[in-house]
Amino acid sequence: MSSFFESSNLKLGYGNQIVVDDLKISLKLSKNYEIIGKNGSGKTTLLMCISNNFIGNTFNSDIQRSKNSLMEIGSIPSLIPKLSLIENINYFLFNEKKQESTINKILNKYELNQFRADLIEDFSSGMIKRSEIAIADLKNPDVLCIDEPKVYLDENGIQLLLELLKKREYEGNSTILSSQESIISLASIERTIDLND
Amino acid sequence: MIKKYIVKKETSLEFRNNTSLFLITPTMSVLIIVFPILSENRFRVDNDLFLIVELLFLILFTTLFSIRNPLDEQRLIKELNFGSIQKKDYFYSKTVAELGIFYPQIILLLILFSGFTNTSLNSSLIYICLSVLFFCINAIMINLFFQVFTSFNNRFVQFTIIVPIYIGFAILIAPLWLGVNQEISNIYLLMYLGITLIIYAFTNFYLRSSK
Repeated sequence: MSSFFESSNLKLGYGNQIVVDDLKISLKLSKNYEIIGKNGSGKTTLLMCISNNFIGNTFNSDIQRSKNSLMEIGSIPSLIPKLSLIENINYFLFNEKKQESTINKILNKYELNQFRADLIEDFSSGMIKRSEIAIADLKNPDVLCIDEPKVYLDENGIQLLLELLKKREYEGNSTILSSQESIISLASIERTIDLND
Repeated sequence: MIKKYIVKKETSLEFRNNTSLFLITPTMSVLIIVFPILSENRFRVDNDLFLIVELLFLILFTTLFSIRNPLDEQRLIKELNFGSIQKKDYFYSKTVAELGIFYPQIILLLILFSGFTNTSLNSSLIYICLSVLFFCINAIMINLFFQVFTSFNNRFVQFTIIVPIYIGFAILIAPLWLGVNQEISNIYLLMYLGITLIIYAFTNFYLRSSK
Protein backbone atom coordinates (compact mmCIF):
# COMPACT_ATOMS: atom_id res chain seq x y z
CA MET A 1 0.00 0.00 0.00
CA SER A 2 1.45 3.38 -0.95
CA SER A 3 2.38 6.06 1.58
CA PHE A 4 1.12 9.61 1.23
CA PHE A 5 3.60 10.95 3.78
CA GLU A 6 6.88 9.44 4.87
CA SER A 7 9.89 10.56 6.87
CA SER A 8 12.63 8.64 8.64
CA ASN A 9 13.94 11.54 10.72
CA LEU A 10 11.22 14.17 10.98
CA LYS A 11 12.34 17.23 12.91
CA LEU A 12 10.10 20.30 13.11
CA GLY A 13 10.34 23.60 14.91
CA TYR A 14 10.14 27.36 14.83
CA GLY A 15 13.46 29.19 14.52
CA ASN A 16 15.91 27.16 16.60
CA GLN A 17 13.22 25.79 18.90
CA ILE A 18 12.56 22.11 18.18
CA VAL A 19 8.97 20.93 18.62
CA VAL A 20 9.02 17.48 17.01
CA ASP A 21 12.35 15.63 17.15
CA ASP A 22 13.53 12.60 15.18
CA LEU A 23 10.13 11.05 14.44
CA LYS A 24 9.94 8.08 12.11
CA ILE A 25 6.62 8.21 10.34
CA SER A 26 5.00 6.50 7.37
CA LEU A 27 1.34 7.20 6.68
CA LYS A 28 -0.45 4.94 4.24
CA LEU A 29 -3.51 5.59 2.13
CA SER A 30 -6.85 4.09 3.27
CA LYS A 31 -5.61 3.93 6.87
CA ASN A 32 -6.60 6.13 9.80
CA TYR A 33 -4.22 7.76 12.24
CA GLU A 34 -4.43 9.59 15.52
CA ILE A 35 -2.01 12.11 16.97
CA ILE A 36 -2.29 12.63 20.72
CA GLY A 37 -0.31 14.76 23.12
CA LYS A 38 -0.57 17.46 25.72
CA ASN A 39 -0.46 21.22 25.00
CA GLY A 40 2.77 22.25 23.25
CA SER A 41 3.79 18.70 22.39
CA GLY A 42 3.67 19.47 18.65
CA LYS A 43 0.37 17.90 17.54
CA THR A 44 -0.73 20.86 15.44
CA THR A 45 2.80 21.34 14.06
CA LEU A 46 2.93 17.70 12.95
CA LEU A 47 -0.57 17.83 11.46
CA MET A 48 0.29 21.02 9.59
CA CYS A 49 3.46 19.41 8.26
CA ILE A 50 1.52 16.34 7.07
CA SER A 51 -1.07 18.56 5.38
CA ASN A 52 1.67 20.71 3.77
CA ASN A 53 0.60 23.84 5.66
CA PHE A 54 3.69 24.13 7.85
CA ILE A 55 5.88 27.21 7.34
CA GLY A 56 8.36 26.75 10.19
CA ASN A 57 11.75 25.05 10.20
CA THR A 58 12.01 21.42 8.97
CA PHE A 59 15.78 21.17 9.72
CA ASN A 60 16.38 19.48 6.35
CA SER A 61 14.27 16.47 7.34
CA ASP A 62 13.82 13.90 4.63
CA ILE A 63 10.12 14.25 3.75
CA GLN A 64 8.38 12.39 0.96
CA ARG A 65 4.81 13.08 -0.08
CA SER A 66 2.51 11.69 -2.71
CA LYS A 67 0.24 13.85 -4.86
CA ASN A 68 -3.03 12.68 -3.30
CA SER A 69 -5.73 15.21 -2.50
CA LEU A 70 -5.44 16.39 1.07
CA MET A 71 -7.44 18.78 3.25
CA GLU A 72 -6.82 20.16 6.71
CA ILE A 73 -9.40 21.51 9.11
CA GLY A 74 -7.22 23.20 11.66
CA SER A 75 -6.96 25.89 14.27
CA ILE A 76 -6.71 28.64 11.61
CA PRO A 77 -9.85 28.69 9.42
CA SER A 78 -9.23 28.21 5.70
CA LEU A 79 -12.43 29.93 4.57
CA ILE A 80 -12.28 33.47 3.22
CA PRO A 81 -13.99 35.84 5.69
CA LYS A 82 -15.13 38.41 3.12
CA LEU A 83 -16.94 35.83 0.97
CA SER A 84 -20.30 34.25 1.68
CA LEU A 85 -20.59 30.53 2.44
CA ILE A 86 -21.83 29.66 -1.04
CA GLU A 87 -19.08 31.77 -2.64
CA ASN A 88 -16.52 29.92 -0.51
CA ILE A 89 -18.00 26.57 -1.57
CA ASN A 90 -17.90 27.54 -5.25
CA TYR A 91 -14.34 28.83 -4.87
CA PHE A 92 -12.94 25.79 -3.06
CA LEU A 93 -14.84 23.27 -5.20
CA PHE A 94 -14.10 24.94 -8.55
CA ASN A 95 -12.92 21.75 -10.25
CA GLU A 96 -15.26 19.30 -8.54
CA LYS A 97 -18.22 20.08 -10.83
CA LYS A 98 -20.73 19.55 -8.04
CA GLN A 99 -24.39 19.95 -8.90
CA GLU A 100 -26.46 22.55 -7.12
CA SER A 101 -28.73 19.81 -5.75
CA THR A 102 -25.74 17.99 -4.16
CA ILE A 103 -24.53 21.22 -2.56
CA ASN A 104 -28.04 21.94 -1.25
CA LYS A 105 -28.33 18.41 0.15
CA ILE A 106 -25.05 18.74 2.06
CA LEU A 107 -25.91 22.25 3.27
CA ASN A 108 -29.25 20.95 4.56
CA LYS A 109 -27.52 18.01 6.24
CA TYR A 110 -25.19 20.38 8.10
CA GLU A 111 -28.05 22.85 8.75
CA LEU A 112 -26.24 25.60 6.83
CA ASN A 113 -28.63 26.26 3.96
CA GLN A 114 -30.22 29.29 5.60
CA PHE A 115 -26.75 30.85 6.07
CA ARG A 116 -25.51 30.24 2.52
CA ALA A 117 -25.58 33.92 1.54
CA ASP A 118 -24.04 35.17 4.80
CA LEU A 119 -20.43 36.32 5.01
CA ILE A 120 -18.04 33.97 6.82
CA GLU A 121 -16.76 36.90 8.92
CA ASP A 122 -20.20 36.98 10.58
CA PHE A 123 -20.05 33.27 11.47
CA SER A 124 -19.17 31.91 14.91
CA SER A 125 -16.16 29.57 15.30
CA GLY A 126 -18.51 26.59 15.48
CA MET A 127 -20.31 27.60 12.30
CA ILE A 128 -16.98 28.06 10.49
CA LYS A 129 -15.85 24.59 11.55
CA ARG A 130 -19.21 23.12 10.50
CA SER A 131 -18.85 24.85 7.10
CA GLU A 132 -15.34 23.47 6.65
CA ILE A 133 -16.56 19.97 7.48
CA ALA A 134 -19.40 20.40 4.93
CA ILE A 135 -16.85 21.43 2.26
CA ALA A 136 -14.68 18.42 3.19
CA ASP A 137 -17.78 16.21 2.83
CA LEU A 138 -18.46 17.66 -0.62
CA LYS A 139 -14.86 17.45 -1.75
CA ASN A 140 -14.15 14.02 -0.25
CA PRO A 141 -10.33 14.22 -0.33
CA ASP A 142 -8.08 11.14 -0.14
CA VAL A 143 -6.71 12.38 3.18
CA LEU A 144 -8.53 14.55 5.71
CA CYS A 145 -6.62 16.00 8.68
CA ILE A 146 -8.63 17.44 11.56
CA ASP A 147 -7.03 19.28 14.45
CA GLU A 148 -9.01 19.07 17.72
CA PRO A 149 -12.10 17.61 15.99
CA LYS A 150 -14.59 18.29 18.78
CA VAL A 151 -13.52 21.85 19.60
CA TYR A 152 -16.17 24.52 18.78
CA LEU A 153 -18.75 21.92 17.71
CA ASP A 154 -22.06 21.39 19.51
CA GLU A 155 -23.50 17.91 20.10
CA ASN A 156 -25.22 17.85 16.73
CA GLY A 157 -22.04 19.05 15.02
CA ILE A 158 -20.01 16.29 16.68
CA GLN A 159 -22.59 13.72 15.56
CA LEU A 160 -22.35 14.97 11.96
CA LEU A 161 -18.55 14.83 12.13
CA LEU A 162 -18.63 11.24 13.43
CA GLU A 163 -20.99 10.29 10.59
CA LEU A 164 -18.56 11.81 8.09
CA LEU A 165 -15.63 9.91 9.65
CA LYS A 166 -17.58 6.64 9.44
CA LYS A 167 -18.51 7.33 5.81
CA ARG A 168 -14.86 8.05 4.96
CA GLU A 169 -13.75 4.88 6.70
CA TYR A 170 -16.32 2.87 4.73
CA GLU A 171 -15.15 4.44 1.45
CA GLY A 172 -11.50 3.66 2.26
CA ASN A 173 -10.27 7.23 2.65
CA SER A 174 -7.67 8.24 5.22
CA THR A 175 -8.41 10.44 8.20
CA ILE A 176 -5.91 11.87 10.67
CA LEU A 177 -7.22 13.22 13.96
CA SER A 178 -5.20 15.25 16.41
CA SER A 179 -6.32 15.89 19.97
CA GLN A 180 -5.21 15.79 23.60
CA GLU A 181 -6.64 12.33 24.15
CA SER A 182 -7.96 9.52 22.02
CA ILE A 183 -11.41 10.31 20.63
CA ILE A 184 -12.39 6.70 19.82
CA SER A 185 -14.43 7.80 16.85
CA LEU A 186 -12.84 5.59 14.23
CA ALA A 187 -13.32 1.81 14.16
CA SER A 188 -9.78 1.08 13.02
CA ILE A 189 -6.70 3.14 13.84
CA GLU A 190 -3.52 2.04 12.07
CA ARG A 191 -1.24 3.94 14.45
CA THR A 192 -1.58 6.32 17.36
CA ILE A 193 1.29 8.79 17.36
CA ASP A 194 1.73 9.71 21.01
CA LEU A 195 3.79 12.89 21.31
CA ASN A 196 3.81 12.68 25.12
CA ASP A 197 6.52 10.01 24.90
CA MET B 1 -2.62 29.31 -15.77
CA ILE B 2 -5.09 32.18 -15.31
CA LYS B 3 -8.14 30.82 -13.50
CA LYS B 4 -11.41 32.66 -13.85
CA TYR B 5 -12.64 31.70 -10.38
CA ILE B 6 -9.53 33.19 -8.68
CA VAL B 7 -9.82 36.42 -10.69
CA LYS B 8 -13.53 36.61 -9.80
CA LYS B 9 -12.83 35.98 -6.11
CA GLU B 10 -10.02 38.56 -5.96
CA THR B 11 -12.17 41.16 -7.70
CA SER B 12 -15.13 40.57 -5.36
CA LEU B 13 -12.80 40.82 -2.35
CA GLU B 14 -11.49 44.13 -3.66
CA PHE B 15 -14.98 45.61 -3.81
CA ARG B 16 -15.70 44.42 -0.27
CA ASN B 17 -12.35 45.58 1.12
CA ASN B 18 -13.00 49.08 2.41
CA THR B 19 -9.31 49.98 2.67
CA SER B 20 -8.70 49.92 -1.06
CA LEU B 21 -10.91 51.40 -3.74
CA PHE B 22 -13.03 53.37 -1.35
CA LEU B 23 -10.15 54.90 0.59
CA ILE B 24 -7.09 55.25 -1.62
CA THR B 25 -8.75 56.62 -4.74
CA PRO B 26 -10.73 59.42 -3.05
CA THR B 27 -7.69 60.35 -0.92
CA MET B 28 -5.52 60.61 -4.01
CA SER B 29 -8.20 62.58 -5.84
CA VAL B 30 -8.35 65.11 -3.00
CA LEU B 31 -4.54 65.40 -3.05
CA ILE B 32 -4.65 66.01 -6.79
CA ILE B 33 -7.22 68.76 -6.40
CA VAL B 34 -5.38 70.41 -3.52
CA PHE B 35 -1.85 70.01 -4.90
CA PRO B 36 -1.71 72.87 -7.46
CA ILE B 37 -3.19 75.34 -5.01
CA LEU B 38 -0.68 74.34 -2.32
CA SER B 39 2.35 74.29 -4.62
CA GLU B 40 1.80 77.34 -6.81
CA ASN B 41 -1.31 78.99 -5.43
CA ARG B 42 -3.14 78.55 -8.74
CA PHE B 43 -4.70 75.88 -10.93
CA ARG B 44 -1.80 75.88 -13.36
CA VAL B 45 1.48 74.10 -12.76
CA ASP B 46 4.70 74.79 -14.65
CA ASN B 47 5.59 72.10 -17.17
CA ASP B 48 8.95 71.22 -15.59
CA LEU B 49 7.31 70.65 -12.22
CA PHE B 50 4.33 68.83 -13.71
CA LEU B 51 6.14 65.74 -14.98
CA ILE B 52 8.13 65.07 -11.81
CA VAL B 53 5.06 65.54 -9.60
CA GLU B 54 2.97 63.30 -11.84
CA LEU B 55 5.63 60.58 -11.51
CA LEU B 56 5.65 61.10 -7.73
CA PHE B 57 1.87 60.71 -7.68
CA LEU B 58 2.20 57.52 -9.72
CA ILE B 59 4.76 56.10 -7.27
CA LEU B 60 2.73 57.18 -4.23
CA PHE B 61 -0.50 55.74 -5.59
CA THR B 62 1.18 52.45 -6.58
CA THR B 63 2.78 52.16 -3.14
CA LEU B 64 -0.52 52.80 -1.38
CA PHE B 65 -2.16 50.24 -3.62
CA SER B 66 0.60 47.67 -2.93
CA ILE B 67 0.54 47.97 0.85
CA ARG B 68 -3.25 48.18 1.19
CA ASN B 69 -3.79 44.55 2.08
CA PRO B 70 -0.64 42.48 2.84
CA LEU B 71 -1.01 38.73 2.34
CA ASP B 72 -0.77 36.54 5.42
CA GLU B 73 1.59 33.71 4.40
CA GLN B 74 0.04 31.10 6.71
CA ARG B 75 -3.52 31.94 5.64
CA LEU B 76 -2.55 31.97 1.98
CA ILE B 77 -0.91 28.53 2.18
CA LYS B 78 -3.95 27.15 4.01
CA GLU B 79 -6.33 28.65 1.46
CA LEU B 80 -4.37 27.25 -1.50
CA ASN B 81 -4.09 23.78 0.04
CA PHE B 82 -7.75 23.74 1.12
CA GLY B 83 -8.84 24.43 -2.44
CA SER B 84 -6.02 22.38 -4.08
CA ILE B 85 -4.98 25.55 -5.91
CA GLN B 86 -1.52 25.73 -7.41
CA LYS B 87 0.69 28.63 -6.41
CA LYS B 88 1.43 29.63 -10.00
CA ASP B 89 -2.28 29.71 -10.89
CA TYR B 90 -2.94 31.90 -7.87
CA PHE B 91 -0.03 34.20 -8.69
CA TYR B 92 -0.96 34.84 -12.32
CA SER B 93 -4.70 35.07 -11.64
CA LYS B 94 -4.08 37.55 -8.84
CA THR B 95 -1.80 39.56 -11.15
CA VAL B 96 -4.61 39.77 -13.72
CA ALA B 97 -7.18 40.70 -11.05
CA GLU B 98 -4.91 43.42 -9.61
CA LEU B 99 -4.23 44.76 -13.09
CA GLY B 100 -7.96 44.95 -13.78
CA ILE B 101 -8.47 46.91 -10.57
CA PHE B 102 -5.38 49.08 -10.69
CA TYR B 103 -4.96 50.05 -14.35
CA PRO B 104 -8.29 51.87 -14.85
CA GLN B 105 -7.80 53.69 -11.55
CA ILE B 106 -4.33 54.93 -12.43
CA ILE B 107 -5.47 56.12 -15.87
CA LEU B 108 -8.36 57.94 -14.18
CA LEU B 109 -5.97 59.57 -11.70
CA LEU B 110 -3.64 60.71 -14.50
CA ILE B 111 -6.61 62.27 -16.31
CA LEU B 112 -7.74 63.98 -13.08
CA PHE B 113 -4.23 65.25 -12.41
CA SER B 114 -3.90 66.65 -15.92
CA GLY B 115 -7.33 68.23 -15.68
CA PHE B 116 -6.90 69.86 -12.29
CA THR B 117 -3.41 71.18 -12.97
CA ASN B 118 -4.46 72.39 -16.43
CA THR B 119 -1.36 70.78 -17.93
CA SER B 120 -0.81 67.79 -20.20
CA LEU B 121 1.82 65.22 -21.06
CA ASN B 122 3.69 65.79 -24.33
CA SER B 123 3.16 62.31 -25.64
CA SER B 124 0.47 60.46 -27.58
CA LEU B 125 -2.27 58.70 -25.66
CA ILE B 126 -1.19 55.27 -26.87
CA TYR B 127 2.37 55.74 -25.54
CA ILE B 128 1.05 56.95 -22.18
CA CYS B 129 -1.37 54.02 -21.88
CA LEU B 130 1.26 51.44 -22.90
CA SER B 131 3.93 52.85 -20.57
CA VAL B 132 1.48 52.86 -17.64
CA LEU B 133 0.39 49.30 -18.52
CA PHE B 134 3.99 48.05 -18.38
CA PHE B 135 4.56 49.98 -15.16
CA CYS B 136 1.44 48.40 -13.60
CA ILE B 137 2.31 44.83 -14.63
CA ASN B 138 5.86 45.15 -13.29
CA ALA B 139 4.79 46.83 -10.04
CA ILE B 140 2.08 44.22 -9.37
CA MET B 141 4.36 41.24 -10.12
CA ILE B 142 7.19 42.62 -7.95
CA ASN B 143 4.78 43.34 -5.11
CA LEU B 144 3.21 39.88 -5.27
CA PHE B 145 6.63 38.28 -5.52
CA PHE B 146 7.72 40.00 -2.30
CA GLN B 147 4.54 38.96 -0.54
CA VAL B 148 4.41 35.35 -1.72
CA PHE B 149 8.09 34.37 -1.72
CA THR B 150 9.75 36.47 0.95
CA SER B 151 9.15 37.25 4.59
CA PHE B 152 8.92 40.98 3.77
CA ASN B 153 5.17 40.93 4.08
CA ASN B 154 4.57 43.69 6.60
CA ARG B 155 3.71 47.17 5.44
CA PHE B 156 6.86 48.91 6.64
CA VAL B 157 9.32 46.51 5.00
CA GLN B 158 7.19 46.42 1.87
CA PHE B 159 7.25 50.21 1.72
CA THR B 160 11.02 50.46 2.29
CA ILE B 161 11.98 47.85 -0.28
CA ILE B 162 9.34 48.34 -2.94
CA VAL B 163 9.47 52.15 -3.29
CA PRO B 164 13.04 52.25 -4.73
CA ILE B 165 12.02 49.59 -7.26
CA TYR B 166 8.96 51.62 -8.25
CA ILE B 167 11.17 54.71 -8.61
CA GLY B 168 13.28 52.73 -11.08
CA PHE B 169 10.19 51.75 -13.08
CA ALA B 170 8.90 55.33 -13.00
CA ILE B 171 12.20 56.80 -14.25
CA LEU B 172 11.84 54.68 -17.39
CA ILE B 173 8.47 56.28 -18.02
CA ALA B 174 9.82 59.84 -17.85
CA PRO B 175 11.28 60.04 -21.40
CA LEU B 176 8.06 58.59 -22.84
CA TRP B 177 5.97 61.22 -21.08
CA LEU B 178 8.36 64.03 -21.96
CA GLY B 179 7.48 63.54 -25.60
CA VAL B 180 10.79 62.49 -27.16
CA ASN B 181 10.59 61.57 -30.85
CA GLN B 182 8.76 58.45 -31.97
CA GLU B 183 11.86 56.28 -32.62
CA ILE B 184 13.25 56.88 -29.15
CA SER B 185 9.79 56.32 -27.63
CA ASN B 186 9.60 52.96 -29.43
CA ILE B 187 13.03 52.02 -28.07
CA TYR B 188 11.95 52.90 -24.53
CA LEU B 189 8.73 50.92 -24.92
CA LEU B 190 10.70 47.92 -26.18
CA MET B 191 13.06 48.29 -23.21
CA TYR B 192 10.06 48.32 -20.90
CA LEU B 193 8.65 45.23 -22.60
CA GLY B 194 12.03 43.52 -22.11
CA ILE B 195 12.06 44.39 -18.41
CA THR B 196 8.50 43.05 -18.08
CA LEU B 197 9.55 39.78 -19.73
CA ILE B 198 12.59 39.48 -17.44
CA ILE B 199 10.44 39.99 -14.33
CA TYR B 200 7.87 37.49 -15.68
CA ALA B 201 10.65 34.93 -16.33
CA PHE B 202 12.12 35.54 -12.86
CA THR B 203 8.80 35.03 -11.05
CA ASN B 204 7.96 32.08 -13.30
CA PHE B 205 11.26 30.42 -12.35
CA TYR B 206 10.45 30.84 -8.64
CA LEU B 207 6.86 29.64 -9.10
CA ARG B 208 7.95 26.49 -10.90
CA SER B 209 10.71 25.69 -8.44
CA SER B 210 8.62 26.35 -5.31
CA LYS B 211 7.19 23.26 -3.59
